[in-house]
Amino acid sequence: MKKNTIGLWLILSFLTIFVLSACGAETAVSTPAPTVEPTVAAEPTAVAQTLTFTDGLGNTIELAGPAQRIISLAPSNTEILFYVGAGDQVVGRDSVSDYPEAALAVTDIGGGFGELAMETIIDLQPDLVLVADITAPEQIQALTDVGLTIYALPNPTTLPDMFANLRTVAQLTGHEAETEALVSELEGRVTAVSDKIATVTEKPLVFYEIDSTDPNAPWTAGAGTFVDTLINMGGGQNVGAVMADAWGQISVEELLVQDPDVILLGDYTWGGVTPEDVAAREGWGGLTAVQNGSVYTFDDNTVSRPGPRMVDGVEAMAKTLHPELFE
Amino acid sequence: MKHARISPYLLNGLLLALALLASVAIGAVYIAPGTVLRIFLAQIPWVNVETAGLETAVTIIMQVRLPHTALVVLTGAALAGSGAAYQGLFRNPLADPYLIGVASGAGLGAVLAMSRQWPSDWLGLYTVPIAAFLGAVVTIVIVYNLAKTGPTLQTTTLILAGVAVSSFATALTSFLMLRSNAELRRALGWLLGGSLLSGWTPVVAMLPYVTVGLLLLLTMGHALNVLQFGDDQAEQMGLNVERTKRLLLVAASLTTAAAVAFSGIIGFVGLIVPHVMRLIWGPDYRRLTPLSIIGGGTLLLLADILARVALAPQVLPVGVVTALGGAPFFLWILYQAKSKVTW
Repeated sequence: MKKNTIGLWLILSFLTIFVLSACGAETAVSTPAPTVEPTVAAEPTAVAQTLTFTDGLGNTIELAGPAQRIISLAPSNTEILFYVGAGDQVVGRDSVSDYPEAALAVTDIGGGFGELAMETIIDLQPDLVLVADITAPEQIQALTDVGLTIYALPNPTTLPDMFANLRTVAQLTGHEAETEALVSELEGRVTAVSDKIATVTEKPLVFYEIDSTDPNAPWTAGAGTFVDTLINMGGGQNVGAVMADAWGQISVEELLVQDPDVILLGDYTWGGVTPEDVAAREGWGGLTAVQNGSVYTFDDNTVSRPGPRMVDGVEAMAKTLHPELFE
Repeated sequence: MKHARISPYLLNGLLLALALLASVAIGAVYIAPGTVLRIFLAQIPWVNVETAGLETAVTIIMQVRLPHTALVVLTGAALAGSGAAYQGLFRNPLADPYLIGVASGAGLGAVLAMSRQWPSDWLGLYTVPIAAFLGAVVTIVIVYNLAKTGPTLQTTTLILAGVAVSSFATALTSFLMLRSNAELRRALGWLLGGSLLSGWTPVVAMLPYVTVGLLLLLTMGHALNVLQFGDDQAEQMGLNVERTKRLLLVAASLTTAAAVAFSGIIGFVGLIVPHVMRLIWGPDYRRLTPLSIIGGGTLLLLADILARVALAPQVLPVGVVTALGGAPFFLWILYQAKSKVTW
């Protein structure tokens, strides 16, 4: 019994210390960082008034003008920044950001294993750090603690949400006019695909493979993901929609029962998996898609990164599933 | 090896001091040693040193490097100190601080908190470390109660119960990780020994546990020596064996749990540092425990520097480095000393 008392005391004292330090930390955070680098803001064209934004986490941020020294912490953010024409304003990017090619020349600030090179980030003296859904809350806290201005781009779940993100980044960086034209063009391309697909009556069953390290239980995407959205927009039905989770391993038995008409290999992008590999897998040879030669590679980055290239993904999906409409 | 002429404390203390200096001086961004010195001097209230124009360097040193160095040295000391105690308590050279489930319990707690994304406004970012700490403590309590037969505590049963509970916790952790895709990277980073929180708060929160735990272990050097003769003989020599074991278990587990909660699961330090110290300076726990504490801090600092510079600007989780570098280093030490020492 004595031991239990000790245990209880330990837990209580631990909690007390934590709550105390947590309170301390909270007061430190709630004081909004007043250091928004006035020196850098003086440089651009005569934009005198302060810009105020509310980010995806509900935090209000203020910029003295369009951000000129930006660090991107997600490949999608980097793609958006370069797309809206703010590529020259990007001074740092995470390790995974590999598109467009110009982004590779920008200073790498880590993040491949989750850890950021905080020193390099501080040394770059960014006036804006553009974070995303994949950024851990602890990392956001660490960046806030050293007085940086952070904008969390909300994670889009639909294409209109993604377009809204393009407009937001345009406002943050001062490229509204060009971006409006670019977004209209993207919307036009999506509408063109939707119009064609609207005439389709037969919607093929599609299996989208993300990882097949275990060929008896390949990873795929379920409902609520962009993979699912893009398959539907491209005029198909997603095999993975039966899963309970958004991402998961599906049994090859389920695959045999559903017998998809088309197999798309997203794992080609990072793992080099080819249609020949699929045909060689034991038990897969009888699938309709394999027998008809309807196994295709697919650029996974156009469905996994919520950026402008998703429109390429929509077009590629529609062309793959309904080539007859695009002749 | 006759090292009686050089004080082992002096030598190891010197190594630790060098490692501390290196850890503060080396980083992804080069800051000249003179600048570092100026920044330190400027922190002393009555010394008037100008740091104008050095704001970036000040932020890097005072808010990133220094607290990180403090966290690393505390973690290394905690792991190696409790590793020595575990090895003495279990009279088993394979014992490490994670033997009876502290790490897997903490892992389960942390990953559970991450996967549930408990949006605790009250605890905020401390949810994960608190969950990890509670996971570790709960696991130890379960293992302890499973292993206790009447008033006595059989160390073999303790290990067996620990291994069983550990593997169950690990299995649950894997399951949770598979189910929570979005948090996978964060969870994996933590499990590989990457700290999640930065700045001074984790250091301050961890300090009381590690200090109390290690001080307690430092006072038990003689008891650990006596314990090496076996339970019966130790009892005859006047040691309250059961009480000693309980106290050792609580102190070492608590220290480890606090370290793991903030720094993730860092392998190998708790296993090899006590062995290296034993091989060089002998098995007397009155000396072994303090030397392990100092050596643990030194080794983890060196591993951490390597983790920061090896693939810069990419930062590796330090646990990867301790495992990769620690194993060959240990084998080398073992090879050098195999003829001279019996366990």
